[in-house]
Amino acid sequence: MSAGVLNPTGALGLVAVAVLVALYLYDRRRRVIPVGTLFLWKQVAASPLDRRRFRPDALFLLQLLLLLALVGGYLRPYVQRADARPPGGRLVLVLDVSASMQAREAGETRFDVARRRARALLDALAPGDEAMLVTAADRAHVVLGWTADPDRVRQRLDALAPLDTPTRLGAALELALGEARARPGTRVAVFTDLPREASGVPADALAAVDYAQIGRTDDNLAIAGLVVDQPPFAALADVTVTVLVRNYGHAARSAVLEASIDGEPWMRRPLALGPRASEPVLLTGPRRAGVVAVRLVVDDALAVDNRAFAWIAPAEPLDLLVVTDSREVGAAFEQIAHTVAGSRLEVVNRARYEEEPLGGRRVAVFDGFAPPAAMNALYAAPPAGSGICPGDGLADEAAVVDWEVDHPAVRGLEGLQALRLARVRRLATPAWGAPVVLAAARGGDWPLLVLGDESGRRVACLGAELGPALGSSDGLPLLLLTLGTLRWLAEQVGQRVLVVETGTPSAAGSFRAAPVPGLRVAGDPPVVVAERTGRHRLGDALVLANLFDDRESDIGRDGDRVWPATVRPSAPLSAGGRHEVDWWLYLAAAALLALEWIVWLRKEPA
Amino acid sequence: MRRRADAPAALPSFRGLVLRVRGAMGERLGERRFPGRPQPAGIELEAYSAYAPGDDLRHLDWNAVGRLDALLVRRFTAEREVLVHLLLDCSASMGVPVRDGKLAAARQLAMALAQVALAGNDAVRVALLGGGTVPRETPVYRFGWRQGQPATGVARLAAFLAAAEARGAVALGAALEDHARRHPRPGAALVISDFMTDPAEVEGGVLALRARGYGVVLLHVIGAGELEPGREFRHGVLRDVESGATRPIALTRAALERYEALLAGHLAALEALARRTETTYARMTTASTVGEFVTGELARVGVVRRR
Repeated sequence: MSAGVLNPTGALGLVAVAVLVALYLYDRRRRVIPVGTLFLWKQVAASPLDRRRFRPDALFLLQLLLLLALVGGYLRPYVQRADARPPGGRLVLVLDVSASMQAREAGETRFDVARRRARALLDALAPGDEAMLVTAADRAHVVLGWTADPDRVRQRLDALAPLDTPTRLGAALELALGEARARPGTRVAVFTDLPREASGVPADALAAVDYAQIGRTDDNLAIAGLVVDQPPFAALADVTVTVLVRNYGHAARSAVLEASIDGEPWMRRPLALGPRASEPVLLTGPRRAGVVAVRLVVDDALAVDNRAFAWIAPAEPLDLLVVTDSREVGAAFEQIAHTVAGSRLEVVNRARYEEEPLGGRRVAVFDGFAPPAAMNALYAAPPAGSGICPGDGLADEAAVVDWEVDHPAVRGLEGLQALRLARVRRLATPAWGAPVVLAAARGGDWPLLVLGDESGRRVACLGAELGPALGSSDGLPLLLLTLGTLRWLAEQVGQRVLVVETGTPSAAGSFRAAPVPGLRVAGDPPVVVAERTGRHRLGDALVLANLFDDRESDIGRDGDRVWPATVRPSAPLSAGGRHEVDWWLYLAAAALLALEWIVWLRKEPA
Repeated sequence: MRRRADAPAALPSFRGLVLRVRGAMGERLGERRFPGRPQPAGIELEAYSAYAPGDDLRHLDWNAVGRLDALLVRRFTAEREVLVHLLLDCSASMGVPVRDGKLAAARQLAMALAQVALAGNDAVRVALLGGGTVPRETPVYRFGWRQGQPATGVARLAAFLAAAEARGAVALGAALEDHARRHPRPGAALVISDFMTDPAEVEGGVLALRARGYGVVLLHVIGAGELEPGREFRHGVLRDVESGATRPIALTRAALERYEALLAGHLAALEALARRTETTYARMTTASTVGEFVTGELARVGVVRRR
């Protein structure tokens, strides 16, 4: 058993003892005791106080002990068991496995260089030393925990490959530094192409890290964005695709942009881009719906951002049954149908529908009532007590406050917060659906639009009254919301496509399938995270993953640089059989404080 | 011991007790009998005297005239009320040591004695000596009924005493002389003080009261911290709260013994003063309660007794 202190500079706190004695001496000279009369005391010999010996009382002794306990705690004393194993050498390897590490220069990728250097560090470990392997991509991942088996570490290191995701190096560094703090003497080595100042960790923390930056070339052209503009119920001829191509290098480059739909060539266009230039390319007139694959034909350092995917949904005409007693609502939908080529619209009143429920349409709109129906349906302003769209009363002067931007029904809709509703039904969330748009008024918030699958059909509940404003410019947000909802209702069931960016969690919706290579699915509700670009099949859904990240595509660096660690993380609170006892001293100080207070109360006059 | 502000309800009941102070006969008729002080009218026959012109013929004892052939007039025991003057020292010295609460104890004692006096159909006046202003005093309160309601004298006395504060310097002897000058008719003067002054200075005031026929009782309220100064300090600069004079003192064993001897001498001097001036002296420490003092020490020295 041995003992020591971890903070010797805390001994400076002993100065407080001298201060305490000085205060007592000063107080002794200064202390005035009021008495009723001095006529008796005048006959007692006076005693010059400053010549008298310092005689501490119980209060002083308690305060002295209290101070010593506090100073003792600040010294951070510890006791260590004699049988505690002395800490050996430890190494945490942090490897950046983000997309930019795939950049190829001098015949090998940056990741190959990083792996080779990491292997060299492993080779330098002494027998019995431990190592840990952490990767940094869109998340920190402990590939292998502490082990003294170097072959196992090498094996896992060889099996690593960079992903197609952005980098979040900070999380991995914090993890490694946390391990180093918990185990004194641990060395942290990082291999990445990110500059040190972009690591996301404060410089003082990085002082404990051996930081190796890899890479130099900036030769990279990338597809930086891919947007499909497909208005609801529009014909294929009206669909456009915009591709943003960017040159991240400091030299002019030329390339060829090729686009295909489901493998069928669509367009091929040569491009010439100046240094650090961007160029949008507009693709028009697709001949069919399907997966749009765009590819840059160029020989640059990073290939993963030379391709991108998008989805053109099949163009379905408006095929709608509107059941309403409002002449204005019927007229508004007729006006909408008139502007959409190839539309089929039938407007009937409620009595007519109840007399003979009509079918045969793809989507029905029920205005103000909620009958059971077999087809996909939008229930607008459903009545109170509706079994399909439950709700609890009306609210006035409501506004949209939030919506699920990733949901297909409202994707691409901006400015929904402009939607103001004079009168709205407060919907509840039924078991079959999920709120997609939320509204609020005085008294709280509630779902304005609920979407989901109910008994094998798609159902939408809209708390707003459609009204005549649907056909006017004032009702534009409501019109866009209604059309987006109708488009979602009209989609062919089973044709599920999710377009995501790698490393970014996206709501997986109702996808229920085992994870596939390149995709991670986790959480409740489930989210999907793509680790690889390209087409993925997740159950019956198609996931199209792209890398649109300037930080990954802008690969130019200053060349290989190394910043050796200047400090090692401080010792942990308790490690290697070492037990700090400062908290016991603090507890003793608290008890002494209480005791001192009691003594003071008894001693001091009121 | 700390005392809270005294309220009449907080005091123990002193039912059945009456004050007995020598030589305190007042001029107003009352219930208190004063044997040896015959007067022409009354209830209890005490003596006979030879008729003198002017005597009330109704008090001639005609049997004595018939048997002795002498004109003898009946004399009766005097029945007067006693006007009790409660003189409360409110000098600053009554406020220290703070935790002894000497003034609070003195207020409680004054209130208790006022209750005893009023219950015995005596009249009560309370005067505050010092307290930073000219002497303040109450009107004379008597027990009785007014308009079908109990008189509010007790409550008013309590409120008056509760407002008393220890402040300023008081020359106790001079204050007593001044009171005797302003109230020359005799009564009972109950002086409540810490007597933290030279007894010779007090003696002049006591003699002035005695000269006007007052029965005087000196009630000494002394703090536990004055009896045992080691409870208050071990060293420091002592400051007289009335004069502001200071004296550095270290309470060594020798100094403590010296103080205790001086204090014992002071208390003995006060007792000697009482004997010389034919007054009564009683001492109450703040460590004891007013109830214990009234029913114990004051009964022992004869200031109160059972009816």
